[in-house]
Amino acid sequence: MPRPRIMKHVRLLVLTEDLPQASLTLAQTESFHPDTRPPLEPALTGLPGRIYRDTYYQARSRLDKIAKLIAVPEDPMLDPALDQVRVVEPAELAQLNDWLGQIWQKASGYEEDLRRLDDQERLIREQEAALANFQHLQIDLRMLRNKTRFLDFYVGIVPRENLRQLEGAVGLADHLLHVYMQRGDQSHVVIIGPTGTTEAQLSAVLNAAGFQPLPIPEGLDDDPQQLRQDLEAQHLTNRIRRQSEYERIAEWSTPFLERLVAARRTLMLAEPLVALDPSVRSSGHLVHLAGWVPARAVDDLTARLSQSLALPFDLRVRDPLPAERKLVPTVATKNRLLEPFAMLVQQYGIPEYGEVDPTPLFAVTFLLMFGSMFGDVGQGAAIAGLAWWLRARLGRFWLFGLMAGLASMGFGFVYGSIFGYEEVLPALWMSPIHDPILMLKIALAYGVVFLTSACLIAIYNRLVIKNWWGALFGHHGIVNLIFYLALVWGGLHLGRGESFGTVPTLLVGTTLAALAGYAWRHLEAPLGEKILVVFIETLETVIGYISNTLSFLRIAAFSLNHVALSIAVFTLAGMMGAFGHVITVILGNVFILVLEGGIVMIQVMRLQYYEGFSRYFGGEGHAFAPLKLRRGSAPS
Amino acid sequence: MSNAAAHAYLNTRVAVMATRLFDPDTIGQLSQLQLPELAERFGLAALLDEQLSARTRGRAIEQTLIQVLLGELQVLVRPMPATERAVVLAWGRKYALFNLKTLIRGKLYALDQQEIRDSLFDLPTIIDPPDQELLRAENVPELLRQLEAGPHRLIARQAREAYEQRREPFALEAAIDQRYYAGLARQVMQFYDTNLHPLQQLIGAELDRTALLWLLRFRFSYQFSPSETFYQLVPSMRLLHRERLLALVNVEDLAGVLAALPPPLDALLTECRTIIDVQRHMGRHVAHAAQRLLLQSPSAVARALAYLMLREMDLYLLFALIQGRLLNLSTEVVDIALEIIEPTCPWILAPTGGPAARHRAATA
Repeated sequence: MPRPRIMKHVRLLVLTEDLPQASLTLAQTESFHPDTRPPLEPALTGLPGRIYRDTYYQARSRLDKIAKLIAVPEDPMLDPALDQVRVVEPAELAQLNDWLGQIWQKASGYEEDLRRLDDQERLIREQEAALANFQHLQIDLRMLRNKTRFLDFYVGIVPRENLRQLEGAVGLADHLLHVYMQRGDQSHVVIIGPTGTTEAQLSAVLNAAGFQPLPIPEGLDDDPQQLRQDLEAQHLTNRIRRQSEYERIAEWSTPFLERLVAARRTLMLAEPLVALDPSVRSSGHLVHLAGWVPARAVDDLTARLSQSLALPFDLRVRDPLPAERKLVPTVATKNRLLEPFAMLVQQYGIPEYGEVDPTPLFAVTFLLMFGSMFGDVGQGAAIAGLAWWLRARLGRFWLFGLMAGLASMGFGFVYGSIFGYEEVLPALWMSPIHDPILMLKIALAYGVVFLTSACLIAIYNRLVIKNWWGALFGHHGIVNLIFYLALVWGGLHLGRGESFGTVPTLLVGTTLAALAGYAWRHLEAPLGEKILVVFIETLETVIGYISNTLSFLRIAAFSLNHVALSIAVFTLAGMMGAFGHVITVILGNVFILVLEGGIVMIQVMRLQYYEGFSRYFGGEGHAFAPLKLRRGSAPS
Repeated sequence: MSNAAAHAYLNTRVAVMATRLFDPDTIGQLSQLQLPELAERFGLAALLDEQLSARTRGRAIEQTLIQVLLGELQVLVRPMPATERAVVLAWGRKYALFNLKTLIRGKLYALDQQEIRDSLFDLPTIIDPPDQELLRAENVPELLRQLEAGPHRLIARQAREAYEQRREPFALEAAIDQRYYAGLARQVMQFYDTNLHPLQQLIGAELDRTALLWLLRFRFSYQFSPSETFYQLVPSMRLLHRERLLALVNVEDLAGVLAALPPPLDALLTECRTIIDVQRHMGRHVAHAAQRLLLQSPSAVARALAYLMLREMDLYLLFALIQGRLLNLSTEVVDIALEIIEPTCPWILAPTGGPAARHRAATA
């Protein structure tokens, strides 16, 4: 049984002056997971790092915003060695923050200039679209440009969302609104109304609606070619201005690019203390830090602190208390082959500290079940090959596809099946379709073994945390397991045509009575409710185990289904000519791979999660996330 | 599966939660309680910390009550399918808009970053995904650029104008509110099944209330023209629909507007002389609509939303009571706020111009 990595609780007392160095050292070890609980000592209530943290976040934010405008080069010293790591004092951080603030003020001005250019560009494009539309109209468009004696014209764009309400509003101001074009989320409109007293009203409404006027240029009627050239010239001017703006930004920023790179490095070095902030408490000059460290890393941690801290410090190490079990982080599996399975396990949850990591068992049983339900050499090879081909896209998950494919291939040799053909390869054992009853019996037996193993793990998990009664009488505990095995024993007798058996009957009766008695003792409810609840729970125990066992029949069912689908494909192929036969076999195999492969995967996951994990895996742990020096320019 | 079976869990949840709603007797009893008793009854420890100022305590209580309401909202949306969840969350997002208005106002008036942060409500992510970019904006142009790049780009133009020309965010905040209600109405109209009619009744009542109050305030308090007033309104899908609003904005006085209302609003508001009266009566109208739907509607989502609206009203009453105690207001004033007694204050006159009207007069 895979043992979880042993963790220790460490409590570190340092003097305030040494806190930044301590945080750096802890980050360098990459083995310290902060414990954010306040200390038991009531005097330790100070929060020494708050100002530092706020300054850091502001500086970080400013640097990230500057980096969006200016291409800050990558830091050549992304992985600082021990002698390049240094403490970032609060004064230095504050100074850096102020400098970044000044840079950002200027950079914000450049961003605003670029925004104005974007806006102008957008307006020119809208104007082009509007004018292209106007040119087809058979009216004197000069009227749209000016106010006349009796009429006001407003030509422009308004967000489509505001259109209906605007239409009603301008109507109340004795104006008409006409939509002459829709373009994206903007509507091009002409608003016409009488000159006079309603102009001020309309102006307020147009402002509220986000109306943007589009100027009608001179020469719209006379020389369309000239007009197009004018607009193109405006585009060009805009592009030149934008290019000039970028050059100005580059010229302005070049002198301090290195300083920005250094700023990024400084913030990286300051980050550990910020990350520790929720766990840090102080009283006067004394600072308290607590966290979880893997037992094998404690000595290294002690040595590094001794080497790096100038002032005295105190490090206490102890085992986690039983009550702290839920707080202790769990170190993730580092095995490359098991990693994709660990990702699937984590979809359910993370093992609690002390709980058996289900990943290895999950991996083995998953491959066994998948292979047996989808046993075919050719189709397995296709899955493995596809996983290999797409490994760049799949990332760490490609190994999962490879192993599933290999499992399928393995069982393909056992069944003697290659792309559905069963005459090509000799079977190491037999094809499922040759003895369906045997397949069903094997599936049932596998289910019994699986459920028994799950119960044993559940019992072990409770014994580890000294939950004796839970291990004995709890769900899927010892009594439950005895009941189940007695049920299976009696079931075997029935299967052989015999009676259930005296001993199995006694065992079933006794264990059920014990479970009912335990539930009765621990249930606090009125008598009637107690009787009902205990009866239903006991009944559920019986029904649950029977149904859970029968659930594993699907393994046999899908292995038979796989063969049956192949038979169906070959039957269809047999009705075709030679070319049609080949195409049908190919397409049929693709169909089986995609559809049945997907379904089998889902069914295996269901068996794992529901019949397995629900028995022994709480999944309420949390991952080990040690303090680290963050490389590169990841955002905060 | 029938609708009742599919929503059995949600209906049960709503039924259980509905036992928390205040009835008139409860409100009467609460009005007799002092701060320590209120703190004990509702688990509001912040009330008892006399080291904090009344303002700080009030703020903490307000935050707590909002968290209670939104916590219940989160519980209710959990079993809902996507469309139903969307409409309930859209309703809850008014609190996110409080934060947005606070942020914009704070930046426009160049308030200290910490002061702005302290004025924001702490909301669940499902209601108000943290927008650190907006909060981190260090100047107004940067804030405006963030607005233009995000989901609030439609109000960004108004924000820019408020900053560049008028420096008065009233129109901007009105636009934010308008978009909230328009969005809520759109969410309701996504339904086409048995949920549609109850939701139309419930949200329609809320929109009727909002449209009428805004119409009266903008026309007669802020002296907006009919066209400006109409533009700001959100037509309801019940009584005060678009055509009706177009007619009502042209009426020249409060009494005329009330007389021109359709039934049952005309009868409901016939005795009202002021906008505050209208506000109180329309509030009761919405509460009655919500209570009726909570008790009788077969639509689980409408019942859930009705519960949340009634719960919100109750929590506002509770907050009013607590504020009254913190500020040492007289019993009579507190009872008026709790609507236990009718207002008797002689200075409630016909509405006069508010800040927006004065500003407009100055810039005209």
